[in-house]
Amino acid sequence: MRSAWRWLAVLAACLMPMAAARAELPTHTLTFTADGRFDPPRLEVEPGRFKIVLVNQSTQAVEFESLPLRAEKVLAPGVTSFVVLSLSRPGEYPFFDDFHPQAKGVLVVKPK
Amino acid sequence: MGEIAFIVWRESVEALLVVGILYAWLRTEPAGRRGLPWLWAGVGCGLLLAGALALALLGLATWLPGDGPEWFQAVMALAASALVVQMVVWMRRHGRGLKRELQTGAAQQVESGHWWGLLVLVMVAVAREGSETVVFLYGSVLSSQQHGGVGAAVLAGLGGFVAALATFWLLQLGGKVITWRRFFQLTEILLLLLAGGLLVGACDRLIALGALPTLMDPVWDTSAWLDTGAGLGKLLADFAGYRATPALSQLLIWLAYWVVVAWLLRRAGRTPAPRAVAGGHHVAG
Repeated sequence: MRSAWRWLAVLAACLMPMAAARAELPTHTLTFTADGRFDPPRLEVEPGRFKIVLVNQSTQAVEFESLPLRAEKVLAPGVTSFVVLSLSRPGEYPFFDDFHPQAKGVLVVKPK
Repeated sequence: MGEIAFIVWRESVEALLVVGILYAWLRTEPAGRRGLPWLWAGVGCGLLLAGALALALLGLATWLPGDGPEWFQAVMALAASALVVQMVVWMRRHGRGLKRELQTGAAQQVESGHWWGLLVLVMVAVAREGSETVVFLYGSVLSSQQHGGVGAAVLAGLGGFVAALATFWLLQLGGKVITWRRFFQLTEILLLLLAGGLLVGACDRLIALGALPTLMDPVWDTSAWLDTGAGLGKLLADFAGYRATPALSQLLIWLAYWVVVAWLLRRAGRTPAPRAVAGGHHVAG
């Protein structure tokens, strides 16, 4: 047990500094509307590192999810949060709401 | 209302499958029964953690700033996958040989260190799915309040949970259909797949956090054949770490995982189990 904790502590110590220091990023907003849609359903971004502010305007919980984007975020009703993504390959990255599977959208990384 | 029941069923089943696989796996070996209290402790810790995570998600408590929750989840997943492998290897080595030592109680102190994997895995699974279910139900009840159907929403949630329990029970029946030995091997493979899936998920988070370089992204794109958005692809993604567009570093880590697991299991199979107490108390059996 002791070795497991030591291992965890070492890992945490190695990882933490990398989380620090982050410059101001290009920011886009994605809203989950009161009637259960993503707005905009098609979000276009420049390649690189950017931030998506997620706004849940509905009265239900939302789970923004996309394996191609490597993102997953649960939003309680009325909550605003964000994800930071880093995408260099142009293309279409679909995402959806895991709690309302009919709500879908796509993030488009424009060619350079 | 059907949708509420379905989502609750799906979230509960993900956690209950982990608990169910572990439960079935532990019951097949005498040494494993010792681990059952750790399993239930993991469920208890997981529920507590689920409550705390749900509060954070609802915005009522924020003790982890910024990327904190992401790092927390990544580290938990890494720890769980490492501990699961350790546990499976230990079980492989001691599974049968330990029966006598267990009966004398001599091995009791020696073994407790090997059950942390069990506790952490169960805790992670229950906390993750549990917190999502709590937030989802909170939202559903809140929005049904406006439409005057709170009772129906709560019933639908309960219905989903009962359906998940039935699924758990069906899984336990599996042990009766095939031999215990075979069932043990099957659950062992499922556990290792699960741990590999956790590792791939942790890589995803680390890449998103900018802590792990991708090397090449993606190595391939199989989303046209087996998409991770729904159906079989989603199931494989959630439980075995399948990715339609994996990064090279992620793929290499996954391959290294299986090489290490294969090597550890081969070594565990070859070396005889060390005695818990030298010249220990021998009970005729």
